[in-house]
Amino acid sequence: MSFLVNPYWFAPSCGDADAVAFLTATGITDATISSAICTLVTTMKADGTWTKMSAIYPMVGGTATTHKFNLKNPLDTNAAFRLLFSGGWTHSSGGALPNGTNTYANTFFNPSANSSQNSHHISYYSRTNSNLTEIEVGGANTLQGSVLEIRTSNITYFRINSTSVYVSAADTDSRAFYIANRTASNVINGWRNSTKIATGTTASGTLSTQNYFIGSNNSNGSPNFYSRKECAFATIGSGLTDGEAALLYSSIQAFQTTLARQV
Amino acid sequence: MEVYLLTLEQAQSLIGVQFIPDNYFNPINDFDGNHIISIEEVEQCSIDWVKQLPLITYKPI
Repeated sequence: MSFLVNPYWFAPSCGDADAVAFLTATGITDATISSAICTLVTTMKADGTWTKMSAIYPMVGGTATTHKFNLKNPLDTNAAFRLLFSGGWTHSSGGALPNGTNTYANTFFNPSANSSQNSHHISYYSRTNSNLTEIEVGGANTLQGSVLEIRTSNITYFRINSTSVYVSAADTDSRAFYIANRTASNVINGWRNSTKIATGTTASGTLSTQNYFIGSNNSNGSPNFYSRKECAFATIGSGLTDGEAALLYSSIQAFQTTLARQV
Repeated sequence: MEVYLLTLEQAQSLIGVQFIPDNYFNPINDFDGNHIISIEEVEQCSIDWVKQLPLITYKPI
């Protein structure tokens, strides 16, 4: 008796080449995660948010090795914006948990080389309720930069491609998906889940030359304001219309719900 | 909160070293200028001498 082995039996079952590339790079074979990634990618493409992204970090698989990959370009290189984790992160099925002491992840995304002055966003899905002075995504020179600072003393701050002028909103629970977003030289807004909670007219400036860090700010080359909020998703990309911002939250929240880690 | 105390030489020897695959040690200085790493790094690593480091109270800068 002989057996035929189907060589595709263990391959991720998804018709989307980008989803398959990510699952192959991470080595993820779990059916629930594979299905969630496939649905996420196809939904983002249908919504028009996929093309707005330079980096998408789904934080799935439960290890630093799976969390480091950029869904948009899952190569193990700095040029592909693959994360480099430093310090005492705890990686689990919930995402990547920084310790608030010495943790950050270098995205290698340098705004001056990789983004547009008047169309840009950064986002972070936080699974932790914390009210300390922490920055979840940031990169700034002495004067110019972008920062997403979730719930510091009950206020969340948003800054994209500008001097240290923030738009902000009261916030009493940091368990949510946040976007700091700029769509014009004088249009900046901040989102919490599907609600635009802050708007402003801060003028954009020259682009920062500092890579974005996740889990802290990158202040002129050094991490500071370390976060302790567990990251279950993060993105970097072009500016989002109001409709796109709402659709992005919807697709990510459905993704988290499939993985049973939504907040 | 507590952290693990390193000598300068120990701190330098951990730069560029992974404590688990794809996650690197990040020795930093505390308020008093001590070289320290976090409890999470020590608990997850498998380097014997690191696991013997003394604990101290963390003083942020």
